[in-house]
Amino acid sequence: MATATKERGALTHPDVQHLSDVNRDVLKALGRPGKGWWALLSLCMAGMGLFFAAWGWQIYRGIGVSGLMSPVGWGVYITTFVFWVGIAHSGTLISAILFLFRAPWRQSVYRIAEAMTVFAVMTAGLFPLIHVGRIWHAYWLVPYPNSRFLWPNFKSPLVWDVFAVTTYFTVSATFFFLGCIPDIAAARDAAKGLRKKLYSLISLGWRGTDSQWHHFGKAYIFLAALATPLVLSVHSVVSWDFAMSIVPGWHATIFAPYFVAGAIYSGVGMVITLAVPMRKIFGLEAYLTTKHFDALAKLCLLTSMIVLYAYLSEFFIAWYSGEEIERTAFWNRLFGTYWWATWTMLVCNGIVPIMLWFKRVRYSIPALFVISIFINIGMWFERYVIVVTSLHHEYEPWAWGIYRPSIYEVSILIGSFAWFGFWFLLFTRLLPPVAIAELKEVLPPPLRKQAKEAH
Amino acid sequence: MTMTDGIKRRDFLKVLGVTGAGATLTGCSTQGVERLLPYVVMPEDITPGVATWYTTVCEGCSAQCGMWVRTREGRAVKVEGNPNHPVSHGALCAKGHATLQHLYNPDRYAGPMVREGGTLRPITWEEGEAMLAQRIQSAAGNVLYVGQAAGPTMSGLVDQFVGTVGGRSVQYDAVSSAPLREAARIAFGVNALPRYDMGSARFLISFGDDFVEYGASPVAHQRGFAHMAAADEHGSKGRFVYAGPRLSLTGQNADEWVPIKAGSEAALALGMASIIAGDGAAAGPYASVLAAYDARSAAEAAGVSEATVRELAERFASEGPSLAMGPGVGSHHRNATAAHLAVLILNAVAGNVGRTLHLEGGPNSAARPYSEMESAIRAMAGGQVGVVMVHGANPAYTLPQSSGFAEAFGQVGFKVSFATAPDETSAMADLILPDRHFLESWGDSMPKAGVMALRQPVMQDVPHFDSKQTGDVLLSVASRLGSPLGAVTFYEYLRNAHQAMHMPAMGDFETQWREALKRGVMEHDIEMSGTVPELRAPDTALVFDAPALDGDGDLTLMVYPSSRFGAGEFSNAPWMQELPDPVSKIMWHGWVEMNPATAEARGLREGDIVTVASSHGSVDVPVWPYPGIREDVVALAMGGGHTDYGRWANGNGVNAMALLPAVAEQPSGAFVTMATRVSVSPTGQRRRLATNDGSNGDQHDRPIAPAMALADLGHGGGEHEGDHGPLKELQGGGGFIPVDAEGGAPAAFPLAGAEYGQYADKENTARWGLAIDLDKCTGCSACVTACQAENNIPWVGEEQALMGREMHWMRIERYYEHVDASEASHLDIRFLPMLCQHCGNAPCEPVCPVFATYHTPEGVNAQIYNRCVGTRYCANNCPYKVRVFNWYRYSSENVPDPMNWQFNPDVTVRDNGVMEKCSLCMHRVREAENKVALEGRGTIPGDGEIVVACQQSCPAEAIVFGNLRDPNSRVAQLVQSERTYRVLDEFINTQPGVNYLKKVTFHAVSGGHE
Amino acid sequence: MKKHWLIGGVAGVFAMTGLAFVRVQDAQEMAAADSPESYASGQPIAFPHNTHAGTEPGQMGMDCQYCHFSAERSVDAGIPPVSLCVGCHQVIPGANLPEEVAKLMQYWNDKETIPWVRVYKTPDHAHYPHMRHIAAGIQCQQCHGEVQTMNVINQPDPAWGGTNMGWCIECHRTEGASDDCAVCHY
Repeated sequence: MATATKERGALTHPDVQHLSDVNRDVLKALGRPGKGWWALLSLCMAGMGLFFAAWGWQIYRGIGVSGLMSPVGWGVYITTFVFWVGIAHSGTLISAILFLFRAPWRQSVYRIAEAMTVFAVMTAGLFPLIHVGRIWHAYWLVPYPNSRFLWPNFKSPLVWDVFAVTTYFTVSATFFFLGCIPDIAAARDAAKGLRKKLYSLISLGWRGTDSQWHHFGKAYIFLAALATPLVLSVHSVVSWDFAMSIVPGWHATIFAPYFVAGAIYSGVGMVITLAVPMRKIFGLEAYLTTKHFDALAKLCLLTSMIVLYAYLSEFFIAWYSGEEIERTAFWNRLFGTYWWATWTMLVCNGIVPIMLWFKRVRYSIPALFVISIFINIGMWFERYVIVVTSLHHEYEPWAWGIYRPSIYEVSILIGSFAWFGFWFLLFTRLLPPVAIAELKEVLPPPLRKQAKEAH
Repeated sequence: MTMTDGIKRRDFLKVLGVTGAGATLTGCSTQGVERLLPYVVMPEDITPGVATWYTTVCEGCSAQCGMWVRTREGRAVKVEGNPNHPVSHGALCAKGHATLQHLYNPDRYAGPMVREGGTLRPITWEEGEAMLAQRIQSAAGNVLYVGQAAGPTMSGLVDQFVGTVGGRSVQYDAVSSAPLREAARIAFGVNALPRYDMGSARFLISFGDDFVEYGASPVAHQRGFAHMAAADEHGSKGRFVYAGPRLSLTGQNADEWVPIKAGSEAALALGMASIIAGDGAAAGPYASVLAAYDARSAAEAAGVSEATVRELAERFASEGPSLAMGPGVGSHHRNATAAHLAVLILNAVAGNVGRTLHLEGGPNSAARPYSEMESAIRAMAGGQVGVVMVHGANPAYTLPQSSGFAEAFGQVGFKVSFATAPDETSAMADLILPDRHFLESWGDSMPKAGVMALRQPVMQDVPHFDSKQTGDVLLSVASRLGSPLGAVTFYEYLRNAHQAMHMPAMGDFETQWREALKRGVMEHDIEMSGTVPELRAPDTALVFDAPALDGDGDLTLMVYPSSRFGAGEFSNAPWMQELPDPVSKIMWHGWVEMNPATAEARGLREGDIVTVASSHGSVDVPVWPYPGIREDVVALAMGGGHTDYGRWANGNGVNAMALLPAVAEQPSGAFVTMATRVSVSPTGQRRRLATNDGSNGDQHDRPIAPAMALADLGHGGGEHEGDHGPLKELQGGGGFIPVDAEGGAPAAFPLAGAEYGQYADKENTARWGLAIDLDKCTGCSACVTACQAENNIPWVGEEQALMGREMHWMRIERYYEHVDASEASHLDIRFLPMLCQHCGNAPCEPVCPVFATYHTPEGVNAQIYNRCVGTRYCANNCPYKVRVFNWYRYSSENVPDPMNWQFNPDVTVRDNGVMEKCSLCMHRVREAENKVALEGRGTIPGDGEIVVACQQSCPAEAIVFGNLRDPNSRVAQLVQSERTYRVLDEFINTQPGVNYLKKVTFHAVSGGHE
Repeated sequence: MKKHWLIGGVAGVFAMTGLAFVRVQDAQEMAAADSPESYASGQPIAFPHNTHAGTEPGQMGMDCQYCHFSAERSVDAGIPPVSLCVGCHQVIPGANLPEEVAKLMQYWNDKETIPWVRVYKTPDHAHYPHMRHIAAGIQCQQCHGEVQTMNVINQPDPAWGGTNMGWCIECHRTEGASDDCAVCHY
């Protein structure tokens, strides 16, 4: 009978004997936080302090505290915005698309991925606000009836961004929450005191009856179907911020698919970066097996190839177009002032992942961890290259200029990771990091009897 | 006419309440209560909200151009050229605009002060004048008055004053044409500067005379130059050759550059003359001199090929009427007078005297020699001076240490300074009696024989500064000494003087006086003899050889007056500090110019700080490699390295005078600026230079500033405007379809399919646009400062400028196409005034998320500051990079009181976090529209009714604003020219409303440059 | 069942707060200039507009532009110079408020200006040319209210919305005037 689940492509968890183990092992994560957790949290808090201090000063003093200048009007802020939006992608991809494609290996990782998605969007969403000159007027980008008879310019990709990002946040947050409900219920049963109250409130009275499971299943599929197109749309829209302009190096039709691939690539990379330590800290080796990482690694490999292809085609087309200005822009990317950024990007995103062709690498957790770090770095630099190198060397030779990020921009960049980490740490303590219910589904049937006893 | 009656100073202060000093973007939050402060008595010539104009005369330099000053509610907010003025004809240079920043300069002296134990103590005028009178009395006739070129009446008063109190007055002009004057005297017996009629010349050769930057009248000369050198509608164009070791801004405008050795002007000029004169008969008494020169000797001396000399000579003779101009201040060497004489001889033999060079009615410009000053210094050092009074001049800065001025000055018992604002000389003075700024005072000037221009106060003196016109002080001191000079106030004195000059033939004086104040000038017709003077035998022995140079360095030092600072007078005007130098494009700090080859040989890069040392001193200054200077010459500009001149001047750049000896040229006695050799040694330090030049003057084969060969004119050479060749190809390949806008292309806005609402009514709406003739533009940058003054554009300071955050709405791009310092060859340097192109198909518009930038029905690309959120997307998407961003609260943080009094109330002052750019002087358009509407003349102002700020001040008249839809408008006519092109339009289909007319070259232009 | 309401409620609250925020922001901007406390101090002289401009018996019925002299030829309406007031009040002691007229004469004798409290002020980034509106036949009262019936003016008239762009636009649209941004903002 075990074969049945096999056919469904689920990965077995040989070390798991009882369903009760699942509850125990997973919910153990929600127990008393250890020193390490507190240390990390306080680190993140400190980082957030830096983040808001820098931002506050920038609002008070003026956007001039950044290194931005003419001709480079966008820099680290937009780079980081795109970076986090990208990170946000894999979550929904893994949970929604893989769910629809019935790839049950996702079950162990999708909770982490989704959490990451939600928090990444929360982080990304801040950057458009951070980078505008008059944040106190930023709400003008929202269409609302006002005394001036004025609406935002729906032609402007920045307005599309507002919609894309907010929609994506709403849907992925709902999806995330919905998926959690059964597990929160499980946590509720295990928890006591205040936690119990909290869980019972947000588990929305889940009792695990068949009718509830039935509705849950329907709702889940429905939301998955709803979320899937967003994975593609959001980053396409973000890419249009660039593609819709006439800046050499931005104005390219390949941008949408190129960005989506890049986003998934960076997202999966980030999943690995986060999953590896969690697996260790919470002792989830039994649930996040090397097989799961192997699957993630393969996804990375695929997307990395797409991304590399995109890079190459960009250079090729620039040359093939015969457009002198276009050519100069890309030549300048490789050998201009910012050559180091470009080469970092190419090495991290194009060369390093080649190692993933080797099974041994895909199965070595440490190796994957290191590679995933490279991926994160590479993808940040990809955006930096697109934003900065294109702008600093445009049509008008006289107006060429060099942009140097300021300490404030760097602080806010670092701070954004702290802000993200802060929420993620809270998540690890408040919600089951692995989808208990779904795991149980894929455990071999023979265990079911015990399961009844256990439950 | 004036406001001297009517309102008192305190009321004047209150007037500001009516508008506030400039409208501010943050104005919408009126926390607390705002007061409306009416006049007590209304001056009849003021209407709130309506500008009042006064004529006066600029005192920025010795050229003394005529000015129109725009005042609003009693504040001077803008200066413009006075079209009635016979010399400047309505244009103004950058410095002229910056005089406003002297008027409102917060560093001005707050009032009369006396130095006690090293510190200044404020005193009353009463005390001050009493003290001065008493000291003069005790000085017993040993009074020295050091002045600078002032109007005839003021000079007259000074002489009269000095005469009565006993003593002497000397005048010192840091930038002086004494050698030319002396040469003219020797050659023709006329003690006046010759008048150049460039306009009617067809072949012009300048032996280093930088007439665009300084001299008799840069504005007038540029006007004439544009007439001569720009291609006219018949496709004819005068040729300009520049012979000198360094390309000044003037030189950059040449068609050919003959990079002669420093100091070899005389040899070349005489060589050419001897070739032209043949047997020498034409040279009259100088035939013998010419005999000593021929093509070979000249070529040897000048370091150019013999063929070059011959060719030059032949062209000079044949391509007449020709004109040769002598060495400028930058090459005043020990034989400067001889060099000027040689050039006059060249003109004479070519028959230019009386044709393009006139010896009558010449400009009355500064030409007083340094030798006067020299003797004055000796007198002071010798203790023969009891009281010294300094007015206008700043010798402690403009003279080298070695002149010993400082020491001598220090020895004088009582030193009085009439300086308006602190300077190096007044820093040593015992008594400071601050003069009024010329915009607050009375005076006159004689721009040329027979023309009197009047200077009148255009506003009450700025209340922050308790100043008094020096003329008034002298008069009152004189009467205190018991010898009144016949008038109580200088105004009265001035009137009397002019009444005395008044001839009954000219009608009633009173009316004529008022008329003169209205027009700004008073012309007495003086009869010109019309006779063409003959060359006279020299009455002094002159050597025409290369001048002697001090020191044994391997490089010759050239010190030239800065086109932004003059000899340093303008160093405390932030507009001038932040104006990219027309030649180097560097802001704020100083630099030493050095040929790239020379720099490379020494392993120097741009920004490396070097020690430039002569036998007289040394300075540490960053290197700027410049292809336009000979390998054996280095050049420093005047005007840097102030120590006591105010917050913006101090510490910026270096004072080149530290390197010079104090030598007076013989026989003219002029100060010698090209006097020494220097050695250059690296210090190892570096300093980034703030420049707006992002590509070292290389346009990378992009058609940003294309040119056309003269030969192609008339054959439809170059691509026709509105033609989208490359786009058409794209279209053929299935690319997007370009807006088809051939034929009056710029008028095509709104684009097909976008004509709805107010945009549909093409008949009754204009399409404002510009046409800029690049063949006329000299790159002088007057427009940049004019725009800054008109549109409340703040300065950002060196630190921000280094980051590339300067706020100019306009910049002059300077591209080197062909510059060769090694041998005589054609020169091709292109200037491009770059400003918002007001694209009909603007890339900045669709990307703005809030419609802060959009297209008005008149086809202007508008920027609505108060709607701007500051995403900077528009700037990223602007291919011309003409959008500037308020990174900080520049307008409030950088502009101290009372400088904000200069803000133009018709233009919103932008605050932190908003984008801005050229508005095509929207406020001037609205003003004109209001006017025509009230007069019931429809809705569109007629052609020429709207003059935008840049156009107004352009001396070369290169810029024309108008309605592109009106086929009869000047701008529409110009756009029809075959030279018209629109930057990048053919590539990205932006459909700009700003049209350029290509520069015309004599040589064939090649490649992407076309 | 309750839970559903809870969810709906929470969602609703979020939405509301979002919208509320922008509306408040917007409202604040409109309100900024005419917040009552700005005018607390009151006018230096209790100048009764009605006595001067009113048409009732015993009122002078003067034309607005007699004092606000530049309204029809300039962007600024103009505030009368002290001399203008004195022109009449030298001979007119002021039947109703002699003490106020005395104040005026005091200012005049001290050659002092009168620190009137500014009541009507459009933001500095919006240019309002009075003469164009008068030429278009707009009555002063349309914006400034029935001034001729008012006594001392310490507050903007309710009719006035000069800090609220919508107010300008509405009129521009109904009157067929241009609603191009750059007509007022430059």
